Amino acid sequence: MDKKTVTTIAYLSRLAIDPKNEDKITKDLENIIKFVDQLDSVDTYGINVLTNPLEKTAKTRDDKVTAKNRKDTFLERAPESNEDYFLVPRVVE
Amino acid sequence: MSIQFKTIKDLSTMLKNKDISNKELVQDTYSLIKSNVHLNAFVTLNEEMSLKKAEELDKNKFSGNLAGIPIAQKDLFCTKDLRTTCGSKMLSNFIPPYSATVIENLENAGCISIGKTNMDEFAMGSSNETSFYGNVANPWGSNLVPGGSSGGSAAAVAAGIVSAATGTDTGGSIRQPASLCGITGLKPTYGRISRWGMIAFASSLDQAGPMARTAEDCAIMLNEMCSHDLKDTTSLDEEIPDFTSDLSTSIKGLKIGIVKEFDLSMLDNSVAQVFEESKKHYESLGAEFVEISLPNISLSVPTYYVVAPAECSSNLSRFDGVKFGKRCENPQNLEDLYIRTRSEGFGDEVKRRILIGSYVLSAGFYDAYYKKAQQVRRLIKNDFDNAFKKVDTIMTPTTRGAAFSSGSKGDDPIQMYLEDLFTIPANLAGLPALSIPNGMVDGKPIGLQLIGNFLQESKLLQIAHNFQISTDWHLKTPSEDIN
Repeated sequence: MDKKTVTTIAYLSRLAIDPKNEDKITKDLENIIKFVDQLDSVDTYGINVLTNPLEKTAKTRDDKVTAKNRKDTFLERAPESNEDYFLVPRVVE
Repeated sequence: MSIQFKTIKDLSTMLKNKDISNKELVQDTYSLIKSNVHLNAFVTLNEEMSLKKAEELDKNKFSGNLAGIPIAQKDLFCTKDLRTTCGSKMLSNFIPPYSATVIENLENAGCISIGKTNMDEFAMGSSNETSFYGNVANPWGSNLVPGGSSGGSAAAVAAGIVSAATGTDTGGSIRQPASLCGITGLKPTYGRISRWGMIAFASSLDQAGPMARTAEDCAIMLNEMCSHDLKDTTSLDEEIPDFTSDLSTSIKGLKIGIVKEFDLSMLDNSVAQVFEESKKHYESLGAEFVEISLPNISLSVPTYYVVAPAECSSNLSRFDGVKFGKRCENPQNLEDLYIRTRSEGFGDEVKRRILIGSYVLSAGFYDAYYKKAQQVRRLIKNDFDNAFKKVDTIMTPTTRGAAFSSGSKGDDPIQMYLEDLFTIPANLAGLPALSIPNGMVDGKPIGLQLIGNFLQESKLLQIAHNFQISTDWHLKTPSEDIN
């Protein structure tokens, strides 16, 4: 883990790192990664991953409308919206 | 008659006998909240609506099992028209348009959602020191942490403000604060309680559960919290028993597993001694102890710190300043909007976990970390499957020690992560587990953890109830011991 890697994963996460904290964050992440590196000691050859303790396929339900259209309810909670859409800064000039 | 430190059962009887009206109960609860404001246990109160509901209950009799009972709701559950912050600045203005299934279930049973409890930001923390709304104090000592992440809920119950509260548990967030605050807390089997309307942290680990003074009250709460919910694809379609029906059945002949790999000599002497005394007590109740081996258990914390951050980085990508929650001022372009909103809205611990998650999921590292951790997770679950062929429950201390002082873990995140050493394995395997008060260390409460096999909540509650009807650790209150 170095500052360049931290800058890359911060960008992937859409987070800005305060330059004042850069050393501390790099050191913390390095220590955490070293800590989880203990997993290397285990032989996992041929072991299937466990992604979810239930190991059941997601259930599906009938494709029926169960909720009313509440567009206005959701749009009014947005930081910025018009009567139909969430608004963000212009993307295409 | 004071309502402080009463159980759900006590309060229901008082309401039925008309020793108190629903409105008086709610008013007295708010008096207790206000006289305990130094705990900082609540982020948002629901006073006007609560009084209205209580007045309605006084006028029209309602027979729900939680009729008129004030319940504190962790601020991670969406509550319709009531601010839900998840302990974060990001959601400081968020008013959900719907309620979580758990909240609906409890309110349909007649409970009064008295307010939203403080918590570690997005449930990431073990001391309630990461909340944007300030630290929560432990009722057993104002400089002590209440544990986390459900620290506000634990403090509210421990201070006797409410008889019960809701919590959520991803790596110990119900059981660890229950232990440090001297109350009872249960994390059910993964899938037992719907996660619909719970703000997600790590979706394959998150589970809601009750926090209360007694195992009996946890059973009463659990009866109402569980349901099969089509809105959550991981919600279990299993029979939901009456969790109160077997509480008093004798545990004679019960086989309790003790984990060979947990070296209790690493704990404080007094913590190990409390654990030994609880073993003796269970022996006196007719239980038998069996040594079991969980060979991969020491890898639980490192496994968790790959799986949980990975899921967290994915789940928290929804907080982008577009649809709800905070948005930064004057964004220059879309990317600036995302980056500044997230950088200003999240605290340090949340950012740290998102960064770890992005790292372990990134190209080139996915197999080495994420896939590897999921394989080790399988080994840990297999260990439990084998152990439960020999025993009915597994007993460990809940925490390494009693409540610690605020700020005392320094700024090394790994020291805090190890707080959840005993609690994380049950989340990885999806198993139910609870914590009950089982002793005091230096005047502070400490908890005993019981882990059960898949869907064995009734058994766990029975084992806990048998302990509580023959001991008085769960009856200790902070005022009595501190003053």
